[in-house]
Amino acid sequence: MRKLDALLELFQEAEPAERLELLLDFAERLPPLPPEYVPLRDAGLGMVHECQSPVFFLPEVQDGRVRIYADVPREAPTPRAFTAMLVEAFDGEPPEVVLEAPEDLLYRLGIAPLLGMQRLRGLTAIYQKLRREVAEKAGLSANPR
Amino acid sequence: MAAYAHPEVLVSTDWVAEHLNDTEHVRIVESDEDVLLYETGHIPNAVKIDWVQDLQDPIVRDYISKERFEELCASRGIANDTLVVFYGDKNNWWACYAFWVFKLFGHEKCAIMDGGRQKWIAEGRPLTREVPSFPRTTYRAKAPDPSIRAFREEVLAHMRAGKPLIDVRTPAEYRGELTHMPDYPQEGALRAGHIPGAKNVPWSMAVREDGTFKPREELERIYLREKGLKPDDEVITYCRIGERSSHTWFVLKYLLGFEHVKNYDGSWTEWGNLVGVPIEKGDPEAAQS
Repeated sequence: MRKLDALLELFQEAEPAERLELLLDFAERLPPLPPEYVPLRDAGLGMVHECQSPVFFLPEVQDGRVRIYADVPREAPTPRAFTAMLVEAFDGEPPEVVLEAPEDLLYRLGIAPLLGMQRLRGLTAIYQKLRREVAEKAGLSANPR
Repeated sequence: MAAYAHPEVLVSTDWVAEHLNDTEHVRIVESDEDVLLYETGHIPNAVKIDWVQDLQDPIVRDYISKERFEELCASRGIANDTLVVFYGDKNNWWACYAFWVFKLFGHEKCAIMDGGRQKWIAEGRPLTREVPSFPRTTYRAKAPDPSIRAFREEVLAHMRAGKPLIDVRTPAEYRGELTHMPDYPQEGALRAGHIPGAKNVPWSMAVREDGTFKPREELERIYLREKGLKPDDEVITYCRIGERSSHTWFVLKYLLGFEHVKNYDGSWTEWGNLVGVPIEKGDPEAAQS
């Protein structure tokens, strides 16, 4: 089973109230940013400008695998949780897995209604950045189907 | 705080620290942009009110009904005479938004904790994950107060009459440079710019680094002397969805004592999509940022 499918199953089987708890767990699981990326973050690279918090999100493709380097402040637990979920689902996978993932991931996870339409912008921007940069760095086009 | 027009609507973090166990008379309410922040830790005895889940109707683009507001207050142990003290993230944007909704339904005793979550944490004060519960109350709300909320027809008439409008978004949004938000169709507006005649005063100009409101004389310099507003003007504030503008609404109404100020919560997401209304681009009036 792909890691993304496991994640989708986890969220889809949870009650709406439990989804908040799952998100909270993820917010606590974001791996620390490797020290060599700290200067990039501090220079403002990889910022997701649509987010209202200083979210650093840098997807790369190394040796045919997706790597995600990210740092989201603890004061912004929702984007932090979503970032940790993307790391869990896609880090180490081939780029095709990202590009074939559903565009409406936030809806399929069932977290869109928790957030409301107005709050989705930042998270959508993080996801789009992942897809765009992975496509570009892997020399593929997004949404191959 | 004494110099403000209505100093009783602001309380300090010290005041909250001293009153957080007075749960019979005071209810502390956390209201954040981030839906998870309360769960990561909040002021002891604070309850959560979420601006999406709790305050907005899921079907109609509007606030909850009077009956649902009564239920919300009852379930949080808020009685008609409870002093409700709001605080939150992002310089109290959503705290001011929740304050405004409570005023809409006629709740009398409302206050904002100056400096919000940021200041409470910066001062090393305690946070807890324990979710308190309080005895249910019987709450009676009033019909929504039209004197603090502007609808689109009213904004159009206001604009045509040349009355003051304050656009509290960033200068780039105001000038209409952010015309295009690829990938985010659910939030876009088909036109970018501002309501003709609106002046640009980003909400952030009203706060200091530590998240507290600027002193009255500085607020008077910004809104009265630089933007030419007068306390007896009829003013309408707006932003993108009405949350940042409720912050400025609070500043004008309670800190500077404007009598007639309304928040246009339809804001740019409505105006920028309305068929048949004009917009203005560019910027004679954009604030320096």
